[in-house]
Amino acid sequence: MIVTVVVNIIRILVFILLQVTIIKQLDLGSYLNPFLYVICILALPINMNKGWVMFIAFFVGLIIDMFYNTMGMNAAASVFIAYCRPAVLRIYAPQGGYEPTANPTIQSLGLNWTISYYGTLALLHHLLLFFLEALTFSYFFETLAKAIVSSAATTVLILISLLLMQKNPLK
Amino acid sequence: MYGILEFFKRNYFSLLFAALEFFSLYFVFRDNYYHQAGYFNSSDAVAGSVYKAYNGITGYFGLAGANEELAAENARLHTELLHADKGSAPPAPGFPAHGGNTYNRYFDYTPAEVLDNSTARPDNFMTLDVGNEDGVREGMGVVSPAGIVGIVVNTSAHFSVVMSILNKNCKVSAMLKKSGAFGTLNWKPGETDIHHALLLQIPMSEQLKPGDTIVTSGYSTIFPKDIMVGVLESYKPVPEQYFYTINVKLSVKFKSIRYVYVIKNLRKEEKTSLEQNTYKEEE
Repeated sequence: MIVTVVVNIIRILVFILLQVTIIKQLDLGSYLNPFLYVICILALPINMNKGWVMFIAFFVGLIIDMFYNTMGMNAAASVFIAYCRPAVLRIYAPQGGYEPTANPTIQSLGLNWTISYYGTLALLHHLLLFFLEALTFSYFFETLAKAIVSSAATTVLILISLLLMQKNPLK
Repeated sequence: MYGILEFFKRNYFSLLFAALEFFSLYFVFRDNYYHQAGYFNSSDAVAGSVYKAYNGITGYFGLAGANEELAAENARLHTELLHADKGSAPPAPGFPAHGGNTYNRYFDYTPAEVLDNSTARPDNFMTLDVGNEDGVREGMGVVSPAGIVGIVVNTSAHFSVVMSILNKNCKVSAMLKKSGAFGTLNWKPGETDIHHALLLQIPMSEQLKPGDTIVTSGYSTIFPKDIMVGVLESYKPVPEQYFYTINVKLSVKFKSIRYVYVIKNLRKEEKTSLEQNTYKEEE
């Protein structure tokens, strides 16, 4: 239990730092804006209280907003995916439901499940974030394309991160 | 009473969602972009310090380019000083009349380093390593050796946040250097890339040609007159209006920007209070 809490706190801090230092500074153009930090919300244990998940999402989002000067946009998008997470988990639930100790990892639930789960929620997050940021529908298709391209990039980065974290002896 | 408790218990997740989302969107839609990031922005001590630490590690990359730019600026300033001493000749092209003997000095320049910068978003900001204690205030203009960069929108003791020209809320008064015809410079994500911005509302009577220089107009209190903005690349008439929209190639390379100056207008208060009094009398 304590190990899980510590691992998650460390993961949250590490991915926030990764996001605001390395990924933000890469500046890959306006279409490629991965927000890898969603992993620290989505990788929380499956059986964790959904209210807590939402609080964590809110504060992580606010911290990202602080660094990006986007006041509230990342918080809104993160809270939104925390709200959608239980439903998405239900949709992709394996036959017979989740094991009580299941974690949203490749080891635990397989590659297909991982891609669908993280991909869906990353897309929802990026859609809300990019439309909030544009604050208009006049560039509808550009914004849509940005959200799709960027969330695909985010999902790939999440898969890489999950693979790297697998070697962690704590898991 | 029991009914209400039961309702909250059953719907707590949706209610919590509604409450947190309301908070978040409240910050998004407060329509004042000065102070817009009032509580959460990168002039915050934590965010500023993280950027400063990061910059301390990676800041050595790209120094060659930054040095070259600063050396070129020094050369230009030396030339200008030479002319100023003789009490003749206007300042070198593209650089403001900011001091010396022939001009009244009423702009102060504070040097600053860019700790964090973005160019990929619809609203781009920079974080600078100067703040209140260095005399930086909201609403001050920011320029680099190459030209106009942005406007300070938020400050803390040691850091400040700059709304860059690459921000859809950033509007600056700019003019054609040769004729003085002025309009509003605005960046439009989706229409212009990070090397271009639009200069709106230039009268159709103007004779335009590619390569014309665009500089600041000096009509606002934010920027001095004649700071380089960019050059005219193309223009097109606005349908059913007697205006041109000019596509300006910006002189500043925002992706590699490192050193900038924050400009303090020493006569800003005098000018704005005089203007306000005038408007009051007219009412």
